[in-house]
Amino acid sequence: MAKILNKREVLTVPNPAAAYQKEDPFADFREVEMLELHWEQTYHHSLGKYSKFFLELEKKRFLATKCPKCGKVWTPPRPVCPHDLQVTKWVELSGEGTLEGYSICEFAPAFVSSEKPYVLAYVALDGADTLFCHQLRHFGDRSNIKTGMRVRVAYAEGEVAHPIRLMYFEPV
Amino acid sequence: MEERPVVVLGGGISKFAAERRDGTIRDWMVEAVQEAVQDAGVEIEEIEHATTSYFSDHFDKQLKQGAIFHDSIGMCPKPNVRVEGGGGTGGLALRNAYAYLKAGLCDSMIVYGAENMGRHVPSDVSQQFIAMASDTDWEYLVGGFYIAYYAVMIQEHMRRYGTTEEQMAMVSVKNHRNALHNPKAHGPMKITVEDVMKSPMIAAPYKRLDCSLLSDGAACLILSTEEWAKKHAKSWQAKPHIYFAGTGCGTDFMRMGDRPRPNPGICHFRGKQVASQQAYAMAGIKNPLKEIDVAEIHDAYSGVEIQSYEDLGFCKHGEGGRLLEEGVFDLGGELPCNTSGGLIGFGHPVGATGVAQGVEIMLQLRGEAGPGRQVKGARRGLMDSHGGTGTFVAVNIFERRD
Repeated sequence: MAKILNKREVLTVPNPAAAYQKEDPFADFREVEMLELHWEQTYHHSLGKYSKFFLELEKKRFLATKCPKCGKVWTPPRPVCPHDLQVTKWVELSGEGTLEGYSICEFAPAFVSSEKPYVLAYVALDGADTLFCHQLRHFGDRSNIKTGMRVRVAYAEGEVAHPIRLMYFEPV
Repeated sequence: MEERPVVVLGGGISKFAAERRDGTIRDWMVEAVQEAVQDAGVEIEEIEHATTSYFSDHFDKQLKQGAIFHDSIGMCPKPNVRVEGGGGTGGLALRNAYAYLKAGLCDSMIVYGAENMGRHVPSDVSQQFIAMASDTDWEYLVGGFYIAYYAVMIQEHMRRYGTTEEQMAMVSVKNHRNALHNPKAHGPMKITVEDVMKSPMIAAPYKRLDCSLLSDGAACLILSTEEWAKKHAKSWQAKPHIYFAGTGCGTDFMRMGDRPRPNPGICHFRGKQVASQQAYAMAGIKNPLKEIDVAEIHDAYSGVEIQSYEDLGFCKHGEGGRLLEEGVFDLGGELPCNTSGGLIGFGHPVGATGVAQGVEIMLQLRGEAGPGRQVKGARRGLMDSHGGTGTFVAVNIFERRD
């Protein structure tokens, strides 16, 4: 008989409903085989009409889009304004803004390579009508972080895993 | 006279638990269906249509799960439709069932929901999978995940209104306590505010005990027209009559930074405001706090329940924490919320959650919720089911009519 490469264990499990079932309706089905499954894929992912935002970040320029009709400035950018479905124009922002909301995270999901804790921040950039979400770094002691504080876009050195990581926020 | 009134015939719930290695998602779903069919007193071969409620394809590594659910209970070749809206999936599935029945596409509908959320992947991977229900080209890539998004929202609520971490902890204490009376619950616990406050910080101000549970489980509800119920359902003769009295749905921008400020800003659930107002208009409710007897709230995190009291119109913005402290939402209070234990105490197998809310409200209105958690004389109950940070919201209302 062949050796099974992904077999982890075989166990007998109790009836999880035992507290309220007098008899186990699945008594003949309590032997369980556990396997290990693994799945990893590489995707070729297009940044599409948002690409210019990321390409300009490489030049330390922070872009947004402005609706020619309603004048609303969206960041993250949108090629089409959701208010009136007009094609927008690229505009450059100074990169300075105000911290509108944040949370200090002591736990990181699997895809976040950051050191813990990290700060997830929502920033109203000067000239924008929406909030941009990114990490706030270089804040010193965590008690320094206050809603309403002035922050700016800073640019990363070294290597980053994704173009969105070319930037982060730091206090002005 | 209402045309084609929709009624609730029966429900079932599988045991919710952290990790149900005893079966797969289809097994739990079948358990819930077996219980629902028996409760409704109907034959599965007579049910005309199904609505499939599940959220994630990657948790269970299976696309088109609905086909497997459907054939597992002998529903082929009858029609089926899948509904998906993140955490709001179950509530939206019930709303879908209502619409299909009302429109005459069928006269009977089985709604089954299930999710495989448990510990078959580590919790940081679970959080990644759930975070994929946020914008994966933007927020997700900078470390956004749901506990953090909601933490940002409740921080703003605390800043605007003075809502406290102790008030949030009280929600957790209440919902874990309510779950003590629910034999199907994943997280029944007798805990104190101090226990919650001392539990490990995850994303400030949310600590581990402020969070809903990643549960394995399933739930099922059987609905029909009144006419069909009279002909086919033993429960129609044997049990109090429960009607589907109102439904509403609202939405908001995926990224909460895109929402208009100050309402909802990064503080309120605008979709919930819209959904509840629609549902109240249908059900003829003017003062929800007085006219609703029991409610299941989407307490993904403890503070979300406080925010939801307000956006559901139980009170004004900023008053939720104070009313909670006064016991308004406790068992025995004016409007008991999450008598089942909610997502925090009962558990949160996403696709099952909103359907299980429906089962709880049905049991409450029948007077069958059991000792410990029955709301005496409950006539009208509300379910609040939401996905994302309020991105999709469904509010449904059931009513007992004797």
